[in-house]
Amino acid sequence: MSGGVYGGDEVGALVFDPGHSSLRVGYAGEDSPKFDIPSWVGVLEDQETNEKKYYIDTVALHVPRKGCEVVNYMKEGMIEDWDTFEKVLDYSYEKCIKSEAQYHPVLFSEATWNVRGKRERLCELVFEKYQVPAFFLVKSAVLAAFANGRSTGLVLDSGATHTSAIPVHDGYVLQHAIVKSPLGGDFLLNQANNFLKESGVDIVPSYMVADKQSVKEGDRPKWTKKNNLVEVTPSWHNYMKREVVRDFQQTLLHCSEAPYDEDAVMGIPTEPYEFPSGYNNEYGLERYRITESLFDPSYIKGVGSTMLGMSHVVSTSIGLCDIDLRPSLYSSVIVTGGNSLLNGYVERLNRDLSSRTPPNMRFKLISSTGTTERRFGSWIGGSILASLGSFQQMWISKQEYDESGKSQVERKCP
Amino acid sequence: MSLYRKSSIFPGPASGVKVSDEIHKAYTDIKKSKKYRYIIFHIKDDKEICIETYGDRDATYDDYLQHLSNVGPEQCRYGLYDFEYEHACQGTSDTKKQKLFLMSWCPDTAKIKKKMLYSSSFDALKHALEGVGKYIQATDMAEASYECVLEKCRSTDRS
Repeated sequence: MSGGVYGGDEVGALVFDPGHSSLRVGYAGEDSPKFDIPSWVGVLEDQETNEKKYYIDTVALHVPRKGCEVVNYMKEGMIEDWDTFEKVLDYSYEKCIKSEAQYHPVLFSEATWNVRGKRERLCELVFEKYQVPAFFLVKSAVLAAFANGRSTGLVLDSGATHTSAIPVHDGYVLQHAIVKSPLGGDFLLNQANNFLKESGVDIVPSYMVADKQSVKEGDRPKWTKKNNLVEVTPSWHNYMKREVVRDFQQTLLHCSEAPYDEDAVMGIPTEPYEFPSGYNNEYGLERYRITESLFDPSYIKGVGSTMLGMSHVVSTSIGLCDIDLRPSLYSSVIVTGGNSLLNGYVERLNRDLSSRTPPNMRFKLISSTGTTERRFGSWIGGSILASLGSFQQMWISKQEYDESGKSQVERKCP
Repeated sequence: MSLYRKSSIFPGPASGVKVSDEIHKAYTDIKKSKKYRYIIFHIKDDKEICIETYGDRDATYDDYLQHLSNVGPEQCRYGLYDFEYEHACQGTSDTKKQKLFLMSWCPDTAKIKKKMLYSSSFDALKHALEGVGKYIQATDMAEASYECVLEKCRSTDRS
């Protein structure tokens, strides 16, 4: 069924939006992706036959298995481990879409800095292995800009592995002015992890807990371990631990509205949080201090402040663009990506950037209000683009591929 | 037009929307013969950019804005306006200047599909109308206001 609130046309096209934390899959024309498959995959190698078994999607991945390693097929926003990626695609066709690949045109989003070899490889893969009738590849930043009604603007994409500022002009990415910073969701997760370690919290993943009792805040947790636990690999155990910290990060962390000031934050009420082990405590100051390093990297412990904070990424990128373009970029800074859902992120960014904008330019921050819109921004853009009636002539068709080969992707998809 | 285009053989990422033929004639009418003050375009049946309405030569900027707000908060449009303003070069008295600008009007309140359609097709219209002085993206009334447009038009004038 087509439809959804955006009223797309029915073409049966599929949209894939691969990211470092998850692969978003769904039908074009719908308002949100149908499936959000983690990019982390459990791989179990049989010692005797050397055959690999893959455990894909949250449910299968979260089952403790002996010798099961957790891998991620993405690297720097690009597909790195093609074997695993193919398995995930197989899975999404078989278990999620439940249809044959040959009936659906496929639109993929890609990282802006994706390289030619990988684009062609993906093109080859979908046409040769999956026999799709048509294929198209669009830069995710361009999709996010279009979905916000802009063909020119600066897209600030704060994802899991990094935050990047990507200037888009007339629907084209200005490749030379992209600025990336490793301060993203995973970075924050490490910071939160360090903090918990320092404050002596023993992070126990939920799979180990059989039973827990309620304890007073700050007390040692009383929990019993499941007794039939299999021997798991360190990578899997760490993955599960990260899931616990991720929940802590997403529920508690908050960006301070103004540059971090201990006295101001002191006044804000603390919030309780309970870990799977039953340990619970009140958190106040820390909620704001951890996130401050995103905006002011001098708060990062141990390393020098060579990394760029959020507003710095934006202004550096705009500074690299042509001077005539700068006003139009400042007047449409588009925020997208999962990490931007952090409480108070947009408000803080708005404040920091307003003070950084040159006085003769207007500044406007554009961000979708809904969480789905922001988290799946580029997927939604792809969904609409692929469902536009007029877009149907833009696809690389199977026939074109058969005639001219994989280089079509460089010719047709800018 | 853009210095950054990698190569002209690349088609836009664009939506594939076409520009109707009537636009070329109307463009000469406004640019050369000064027949109209403004032209408002819309995308017909999600396929083709067509002319929705013309503004007479004596229409004002307010009439133009009025039209944009009349189409409703959920609609997007493109507008071509023959903008006149006073400008003083250093050491001279005020002179009248004229500048054509092309505006994409995508209010934040519009349906996401409309925004997508209009913003991804803007490039096609830009190519069809060669020689426009300014391109303006407006997403709210403040950005489309007279003051804001005036400032944009002046920004590249020598003083």
